[in-house]
Amino acid sequence: MKIVGIAACTVGIAHTYIAQEKLENAGKKAGHEIHIETQGTIGTENELSQQQIAEADIVILATDVKIAGRERFDGKRIIQVTTEIAVKSPNKLIEKAVEVVNQQK
Amino acid sequence: MEINSLYQIYFNCELATKEEVHSFIAEIVGQDNPISREEVIHQLNEREKVGSTIIAEHVMLPHIESEQLEKSQILFFRLAKPIETWDCQTKNICLVIVILLKKNESVNIKKRIALFTRSLADDEYLDRLLNSHEQEEFINEIIKY
Repeated sequence: MKIVGIAACTVGIAHTYIAQEKLENAGKKAGHEIHIETQGTIGTENELSQQQIAEADIVILATDVKIAGRERFDGKRIIQVTTEIAVKSPNKLIEKAVEVVNQQK
Repeated sequence: MEINSLYQIYFNCELATKEEVHSFIAEIVGQDNPISREEVIHQLNEREKVGSTIIAEHVMLPHIESEQLEKSQILFFRLAKPIETWDCQTKNICLVIVILLKKNESVNIKKRIALFTRSLADDEYLDRLLNSHEQEEFINEIIKY
């Protein structure tokens, strides 16, 4: 499965980067291709390409603040959570993403 | 104990509640920065309202950004005894890592802090910190960027 997403928290220095790492690690461990863009205090990093978004089966938005470029995901299946969820339960979140994709097949 | 300009370690801290932790942070910040104790505590509480700052079992990561901070810092509080009740949902905290981010900090320092926070996603690394019972061992485990 192909997953893309965004991590963004309020100050943009702590949960943004931990959420990205945890989601990418959990996704890869479960055998998925996953790319998480961060919108933090440094700005946008690991920016998603149009191709990555187009090919993604699902989008995970782990965000506590308004993000830039949300319209890039119009028409895609989206799971929206807080960064806290992504940091606390990354494996469960990936399982949920798989479940959502499988349900809608 | 200061190990370089970015990291400071406080080992065997006798702090028993979230409020005592917040007061201790305010005390440290107030030593070197023109920011009031009330403002630090207010910002810490405001951040907690957005969502819990727990990052793993036994580990909290409170953090603030302020233009009244003159330099950014990362503080480690290794608690002498676990805080049994941080709040109604958060129990048994042994390690508090605090990020103090100066407003308009340089990109270089922000990148160093971001690398550090990414390292906190590794549960095995946090376990090593939690299981370091001697100060020197704890300091040696900290990954510095």
